[in-house]
Amino acid sequence: MLQYIAPATGLLFTLENILWINIGVFVGAVFAAIPGLSVILCVILFLPVTYTMTAIPGMMFLLGIYCAGGYGGSVSAILINTPGTPHAAATMLDGHPLSQQGRTKAALKIALYASTFGGIFSALMLLFLGPQVAKVAAQLGTAEYFMVCVFGLTIIAGVSGKSIIRGLVSACLGLLISCVGTDPMTSYDRFTFGIPRLYLGLDLAVCLIGLFALVEILAKVEKKRGDLHMDTRKIKDDGKITRQEYKRMARPVLMSSIIGVLVGIIPGTGASEASWFSYNTAKNLSKHPEEFGHGSVEGIAAAESANNAVTGATLIPLLTLGIPGDGTVAIMLSALMINGLNPGLSLFTTDGDIMYAIMLGLILVNLFMFLQGKFLTSLFAKVVSIPQEILTPIIVIFCFAGAYSVNENYFDVAVALVFGVLAWVLRKLDLPPVPILLGLVLGRMTETNFRRALLISNGDPSIFVQSIYCKIFLALIIVAVAAIIRGKLKEQKAAKAAASQ
Amino acid sequence: MKKRLLSLSLAVVMSLGLLAGCGNSSGGGGGKSASWKVTCPWAPSGVAAMVSQKAAAKSTEYSDTITLVAEAIAGDAATVNTWVMDTEANDPELVFVGEGLLSITSIIDPSKMQFTQDDFVFVENLYSSIFVLSADKELNINNISELEAFVGQGGEISVAVNGATGSEAFLAASLFGKMGAGDQLKLVAYQSAAEAAQAVAKGETQFAVSHQSQIQETYQQDGVTIVCAFDEKPLENGPFAGVEGVGEYGYPYFRNRCFIMARAGTDEETVAQLKELYGKILADEEVVTWLQDTMLLEVDTMSQEDMDAHVENVKNIVNEYKDIVAG
Repeated sequence: MLQYIAPATGLLFTLENILWINIGVFVGAVFAAIPGLSVILCVILFLPVTYTMTAIPGMMFLLGIYCAGGYGGSVSAILINTPGTPHAAATMLDGHPLSQQGRTKAALKIALYASTFGGIFSALMLLFLGPQVAKVAAQLGTAEYFMVCVFGLTIIAGVSGKSIIRGLVSACLGLLISCVGTDPMTSYDRFTFGIPRLYLGLDLAVCLIGLFALVEILAKVEKKRGDLHMDTRKIKDDGKITRQEYKRMARPVLMSSIIGVLVGIIPGTGASEASWFSYNTAKNLSKHPEEFGHGSVEGIAAAESANNAVTGATLIPLLTLGIPGDGTVAIMLSALMINGLNPGLSLFTTDGDIMYAIMLGLILVNLFMFLQGKFLTSLFAKVVSIPQEILTPIIVIFCFAGAYSVNENYFDVAVALVFGVLAWVLRKLDLPPVPILLGLVLGRMTETNFRRALLISNGDPSIFVQSIYCKIFLALIIVAVAAIIRGKLKEQKAAKAAASQ
Repeated sequence: MKKRLLSLSLAVVMSLGLLAGCGNSSGGGGGKSASWKVTCPWAPSGVAAMVSQKAAAKSTEYSDTITLVAEAIAGDAATVNTWVMDTEANDPELVFVGEGLLSITSIIDPSKMQFTQDDFVFVENLYSSIFVLSADKELNINNISELEAFVGQGGEISVAVNGATGSEAFLAASLFGKMGAGDQLKLVAYQSAAEAAQAVAKGETQFAVSHQSQIQETYQQDGVTIVCAFDEKPLENGPFAGVEGVGEYGYPYFRNRCFIMARAGTDEETVAQLKELYGKILADEEVVTWLQDTMLLEVDTMSQEDMDAHVENVKNIVNEYKDIVAG
């Protein structure tokens, strides 16, 4: 490794690379901040730009988009209660409430600091432990993936609000919606009603626009005009984060970065799963779990550090085994292959300087993301002071444009509208929307891995407890369920005590 | 109330204006220099999308009148349906279709297709990819004779494939079906070609059918053996050179091909210009080397008759083995 560091540094620190990193970071942050315009879409759009470049500047540009996209999604989640990207949904739960308390800048700063830490942490993991970690991740099979999904589904309890039953109803709805489309195991159609576009299933980004953005617009229609305006005169948003808050964030940020890396190295999972796992873990371990959902600094820090810790981790299986960690990284693979580089361990010996330049570059990308974020935070924070009469139509425009851009068709715009109305009805029924999102994120993955595992084992369910990794995940699931029960008992006790007083 | 109405009107007007603009295609056709949008209906990270981008980047070197603009919109039949609905003859638009749509979906699930082969006019074949069968290293199967011996022992045969009814599934079904082991065959569908290629190295399945590039790294790390290639002759190039072709033993096979199509009714002269341009790009030394060494693909330019023969061959295989794949 050491013999490559010096030449890699020489290859990396050029004006061209620095320029492309900064362009990528800016484009990624702005793109991801707009609901519907996901990071993957941004990478697809700008990929052709890299085809005229050599491997390093091309990858630096795309990594800039990728990493800043991880942070950018939190901006709209905090400002307008609509996650710019699916993986910022967990950030929204506490980011927007904190913003509504008049601490928009602080919320954005927490997201930025946590994102930077998570990003650099995973870049270091990639640099020092990449090949070793990738070999472990490559051993995880279908049964292990299923156990990861089940562990993920335990999060539903944490985001269900006051009633787990209502949370489960919402989650089941999400799981049901995730069944729409072609059956992944048999190719038969399910719930498509003869509509050709439904064969593909429903795109998560499109559903997200309806569930969280359009429903807010509908809700605003119901509100009185006075309720729509935040009284900014009383708010002194200096963006300060207290020493106490920094202390509280330290543990969740570190834990979430580790979780982000662990999730990121498992191909097929991604930033959404990582942010929910981390958010839930942070809540379970927090001394102030009651603050989660009401503007907890720990909640924002956990979700954001996790989704950025995924960025370096997804590159681990890509660069070492040639297996893309997630969809966005799969597209980045093109930038390498177009330059004649076929990722894998052999590339570390044939083109070690380029590989290490890319890995070192990831640290640089995160540093520039931090610097640009510092500048952009004050700019973004001004969004909350835009009058609702102007801001709301702009959000609607971005929502429709975002929904259209996913697959370049009007059908998705209609889907977003349907989800907006559905979310509004659910709100009236007091059913939380976040479990629906979890159902959508985990539904297909859970079902596919469950059925495939049983197919591999010829129907023998013991496949789910055979490997050591399955046993570890099973233990985690038991701990998570125990924590849920304990938390609920505590809540009931507190409620009884409050009632008796 | 006025402000709210103003706000609502503003949103409606802006949305309609924006969405009306969204539908416009790239345009520019028919003039001295035309941009031809090339739609790849598969994953933007896939082989076809990558080769299309490479071709687009090269197009300006070989033509002053045609510039190719590559675009990938995953969706397979759904994307092609939209393309057919949105285009007319002589529109500067091209689309990729392969044997998956023309030979497999058209038989297995025709309701998904709102088009037929008659809606297109063939321009060129972008590349050929020869699938390979890899085996769990512990089975120590290195050629077709050893595979036949293994199948002869009886017992279940599990094969990882990309998608439940894709090309890989039919190749596996045809090989093992022809060996008389169709009823022993268990096809395990994965969500992506990379996942399927990895499954055999993890020991989840005994075999996998994949593109050569997708199994290359696992093979180099000594995780699998390569049993055979789904082609007529042994492989000539790349890391798997010398691997036997199933055709030598009389087993069915087909290559994965990517046909570049224009809308039916497009002027013959225009189609000829496009074919000439693709011909030049695919003869470019850099492109040939890149396809061969990095992508492990072959340049394989074709005529309309070649394409028809390929589609027909795959259709025959699908008809013969669809019971094994689709049950």
